[in-house]
Amino acid sequence: MRGPRKIGEQEVRWQGLGVSDGVVVGRVLRVFSGARQVYRATIEEKDIENEARRLRAAVGLARSQLLAIKARAEKELGEDHAYIFDAHLLMLEDRKLLDEVENYIRQERANAEWAVKVAADRLLAVYAEIKDDYLRARGSDIEDVTQRILVAMSGESSGYRKLTEDAVIVAEDLMPSAVAELDFDHARGIATDAGGWTSHTAIIARGLGIPAIVALRELHRNARTGDRIVMDAQQGLAILHPSASTLAHYASVASSLPKTREIATSDGLRPLVTLDGKEITLRANVELPAEYSDVSRFGARGIGLYRSEFLFSNRNAMPSEEEQYQAYVEVAAVAGADGATVRLFDLGGDKMGNAGAESERNPALGLRAIRFSLTHENILRTQVRAIIRAAATGRLDIVVPMISDVMDVRRARRIINEERTRLEAEGKEVGPSRIGAMIEVPSAVMTADKVAREVDFFSLGTNDLVQYLLAVDRGNEGVADWFRSLHPAVLQSIDRTLDAARKAFIPAVACGEMASTPAYAVILIGLGTTDLSMTASSIPRVRRAVAAIRFADAQSIAMECLECETADDVEELVRVRFSQKWPELFKPKSLPARRDAE
Amino acid sequence: MIERRVVITNRLGLHARAAALLVRTASRYSSVLRLERADKTAAADARSLLSVLMLAASRGTELLATADGTDENEAMSALCGLFVDGFGENDR
Repeated sequence: MRGPRKIGEQEVRWQGLGVSDGVVVGRVLRVFSGARQVYRATIEEKDIENEARRLRAAVGLARSQLLAIKARAEKELGEDHAYIFDAHLLMLEDRKLLDEVENYIRQERANAEWAVKVAADRLLAVYAEIKDDYLRARGSDIEDVTQRILVAMSGESSGYRKLTEDAVIVAEDLMPSAVAELDFDHARGIATDAGGWTSHTAIIARGLGIPAIVALRELHRNARTGDRIVMDAQQGLAILHPSASTLAHYASVASSLPKTREIATSDGLRPLVTLDGKEITLRANVELPAEYSDVSRFGARGIGLYRSEFLFSNRNAMPSEEEQYQAYVEVAAVAGADGATVRLFDLGGDKMGNAGAESERNPALGLRAIRFSLTHENILRTQVRAIIRAAATGRLDIVVPMISDVMDVRRARRIINEERTRLEAEGKEVGPSRIGAMIEVPSAVMTADKVAREVDFFSLGTNDLVQYLLAVDRGNEGVADWFRSLHPAVLQSIDRTLDAARKAFIPAVACGEMASTPAYAVILIGLGTTDLSMTASSIPRVRRAVAAIRFADAQSIAMECLECETADDVEELVRVRFSQKWPELFKPKSLPARRDAE
Repeated sequence: MIERRVVITNRLGLHARAAALLVRTASRYSSVLRLERADKTAAADARSLLSVLMLAASRGTELLATADGTDENEAMSALCGLFVDGFGENDR
């Protein structure tokens, strides 16, 4: 892996992974994982030593974080890329910085945060004068280090960030809560150093219909706020300081591309059927209020998956029953007659941000989703009450995430029934919510026939299913090659789950990101799914594909895929069959990429 | 106290990686090591990364290095060694 070979203001290109299509020409807004506003406070004489101690404690914490980051970087990126964290460490240990901050605290009786900011600004002002472009750009490292100290001092997450003008968000990585705080009206694109196809950043960017590129490795520290940037998500390319000819090229490309967000769906409300008459339902996955208007705009048949935990990540505090009730009433109204399926909080693990949980060594396998809710029963009860009350105003179903087997379903159902009885006794109006199970854990797949007897419907969460089935962390770019949605084991698990649902006469909705890609959606349909839920902005293109195929053809290709030995075999088969059968519908670029192409 | 003139030969100058190496090296000795630009516009304690970076020493910059202390000879030769081989980055 080569680093930047050009310096300064010359054009520099970074290759990453495009996860949400589009082209943007704009300016960088550098976002730190915890960038924050700092205020001046005057402290009393007697508290000065205390303030200095707070500073030293924060520096100590920042130092141990950096040591861990450096060790990981050495392991994953090699010495050549890890050195930068050595530089950050040395800055933290630099008496020049710390003495200046401590002196400022003592002389000005300032709070430590303010003193850090003043010292950082002074240093940055000196750096801004440096004539050498490359060295001047090192100011970004000082920003990183001082931000890290400030975050360490606060012990909490970032503050709300308001963009005053359109910007391309450039970050190392975005926590779900940080993404939730972005100002969507002005975010034109997202580029991050870490992440993968199914990271939260990617999912949300697709939901918003803005381009996103992840796995750019070192873009963040080389970019400065205000730098010109071109994002070509189709190519996974981020270009800093684009040359005049690059700009001219992309200005014409950008204007010729149809804007996904504006595709009107004149036929969007007619029932969707395949050429041989199989009816297929397409619903929307929804997470943010910003996506509500997309449900009708893209012709979704209601909301197949409402990810409720965003009520949580926005505020770092438990939303009250009343707040949740208002939110679910709105979701039901947005979904209309087709209704919405509310997924119970999928909290814990990576989605918890830092809202108070003890850190776990292996959060994906830890106390999350229904396990978390069953452990913190009051959270579950409050949520359930809010949902079934809101269900009196519109159609709302409940899906239980990450069940291991029928035991989790029974425990959740008991609590739901208790709260229903209690609400009725209180004289409150409640609605008839169906209860479904999210099938995403291998043990749930294996026992799907048992689970099917005790629930009203299945939701297939393909993102987590792939992660758990193949034992691949979907946020870890190092194992991205092992994350294969078309792995035969995944297809067989989906087949098995759908089969169990059919035999129990319950419906099954496929609601992972897989359904957003037309080729994958066709495979899911071939396996027997007739109900798919996806990012709303993907519905028009999936709709076009589904309307132009025969269900029987999809079925025979899917059956062939089930017999494959490896993910490579499945992908090759999909490439060959799709381009034979539907050459006009599936261009090579819209099919799984050939792995040996590089 | 001893003095030497050194010149930056690596393409990127005293950037973060090179400066980090310099600071780590200087920190191994008890002598006080200082670097000053030949044009006298900036001087730095070789143990402070921030001040070393602020020398803004790009390729071709001439610096005056001084070492003062019990191990000044060893410290100076280690320091000069870094400049001579371009912080291990020449022709990279």
